[in-house]
Amino acid sequence: MSASLARAVNVLKEVIDAPIASYFASCVHCGLCAEACLFYTETDDPKYTPIHKLEPMRRVYAQEYTLIGRLLKWLGLSKPLTDAELAEWQPLVYDSCTLCGRCSMVCPVGNDIVYMVRKLREGMAIAGYAPAGVLAATQRTIEMGSPMGVKLPALKAQIGHIEAETGLTVPLDREGAEYMVLLSSMEIINFPEYLSAIARIMKQAGKTWTLCSSAFEATNSGIQIGVSDLARVIVARIVEGAERLKVQTVISPECGHAFTALRWEGPNLIGRPYRFKVQHILEVLDELRVQGLLKTQGFEEKRLTFHDPCQLVRRGGVIEPPRNLLRMISNNLVETTDPGKYNWCCGGGGGVSANDDAEAIRLIAFKRKKTQLDAVKPDKLVTACANCRIVLEEGLEHYQMNLPVVGLTEMIADHLASD
Amino acid sequence: MRINNDVEFKAALNGLDIHQQRRVAAAFIESVLPLCPDNRVSSALGMVKRTGISDAELASAYREANSARVELFTQCGKEADWLGQAGHFVAKATLYCVKPPEPGINLAWEAAMAARMARTCETVAEGAGTENHEAENQYRILYDLLNT
Repeated sequence: MSASLARAVNVLKEVIDAPIASYFASCVHCGLCAEACLFYTETDDPKYTPIHKLEPMRRVYAQEYTLIGRLLKWLGLSKPLTDAELAEWQPLVYDSCTLCGRCSMVCPVGNDIVYMVRKLREGMAIAGYAPAGVLAATQRTIEMGSPMGVKLPALKAQIGHIEAETGLTVPLDREGAEYMVLLSSMEIINFPEYLSAIARIMKQAGKTWTLCSSAFEATNSGIQIGVSDLARVIVARIVEGAERLKVQTVISPECGHAFTALRWEGPNLIGRPYRFKVQHILEVLDELRVQGLLKTQGFEEKRLTFHDPCQLVRRGGVIEPPRNLLRMISNNLVETTDPGKYNWCCGGGGGVSANDDAEAIRLIAFKRKKTQLDAVKPDKLVTACANCRIVLEEGLEHYQMNLPVVGLTEMIADHLASD
Repeated sequence: MRINNDVEFKAALNGLDIHQQRRVAAAFIESVLPLCPDNRVSSALGMVKRTGISDAELASAYREANSARVELFTQCGKEADWLGQAGHFVAKATLYCVKPPEPGINLAWEAAMAARMARTCETVAEGAGTENHEAENQYRILYDLLNT
């Protein structure tokens, strides 16, 4: 057994906790998770069945933690995990799983398959069986604090651009602000309109807000790759910044997994509750709407549909806020089949879009989204995740579908009532 | 009257019809075009600069510019290549230059903002701080076009 394989097996033994053991023990092999996975439905290849992607971990579980498995292992009748098998499973665990959670949602015995995949990724990463792109992103996070290598000067450049464009001040390190706004790397690099939208919305709502120079990014590649220690460091940086600035609420940006990392995993990762509230930007906007602080004018003329980011709906329960907001600016909102918590993934979450090896399968999986869109024929596609946005644009471009994709926060900002 | 700030700049742009907006947008993009090596962008820009461009040609230029814009996105988790990203914003500016008119959207203003982002990306890539003079450059371009 190679040293890396031994480390991987040891990590897998460590991460197999009570929930995972109970999940393996209770799997009834019904195959419903296959029908819930877009990589399976778009290929009909049984190797993409979610529970099958966990086979290396199941073997370790069986051999180490079940009576029969241990007996068989002792008698030399069970097959030990090999490097070759980990290599074979790498594409299944990383390229063809977006951690979208649809499989967990449909499992009749309540197995959280995504949780298991993330734990398996932890072992795979330690053994060196993780895609180069995802490993590089993680390395950049460790060395530079950002998976995409975004540094403070880049943020300051964007702030300068937005202040000039909007005539508004973008506060940095403002102590005692009501809201601390986080950005995803993608919003800093690709979508400056998001920060511009925040500045305009906060101005109208009369709320105080700030960015934090030591914690402006919400992107958490530790969650994507499945390395809890790294995920903890990233969350801790945000917690330190928010507590130093004494803000009341931290706003998670239009980024799916960042919300999961900060809102749901964060307190467990750092081992204590936060001293501030965490909300997704859509929750904040909907709250402002209810308080009468978000006022819009005019309606979109075009037929809109909303792509629910998986982490927002399935992990986060943010289902109604985007629809409430869209109804403020549209009388022509159509739902795709399976909207809300059963929505189909764009195909690029969970580190898949950062993984060059996954490009071909990602575009095949996009056919599911294409089918959804073809059925309702929208004129504009709205979403609330910067990664979804780019993956959707690439899929639409690949299949020659002329459909603009916009972020919901920016769309709301474009409809703000003038004073 | 000279254009000295974005308020005056925007007001001047709002006074332009759609054809003038495209012409002005093309001039803004010309200024940052060297930041985008993608031939589809220069080809789309070349088309829009011609007089009497047909709707079909505009649609074709839109497709070209959009393909380039999407391809030049920095993907989630990839290392930021700010110079490459400048190319994305040039493509985005070009897209505004050729896209069909939409109520409430001034194509020239949107193109100007994307062109400024392209220049900002260049300064980030060069580690030259955040200052650049693209806005002033655009004021001058617009002033010159309005006065010729």
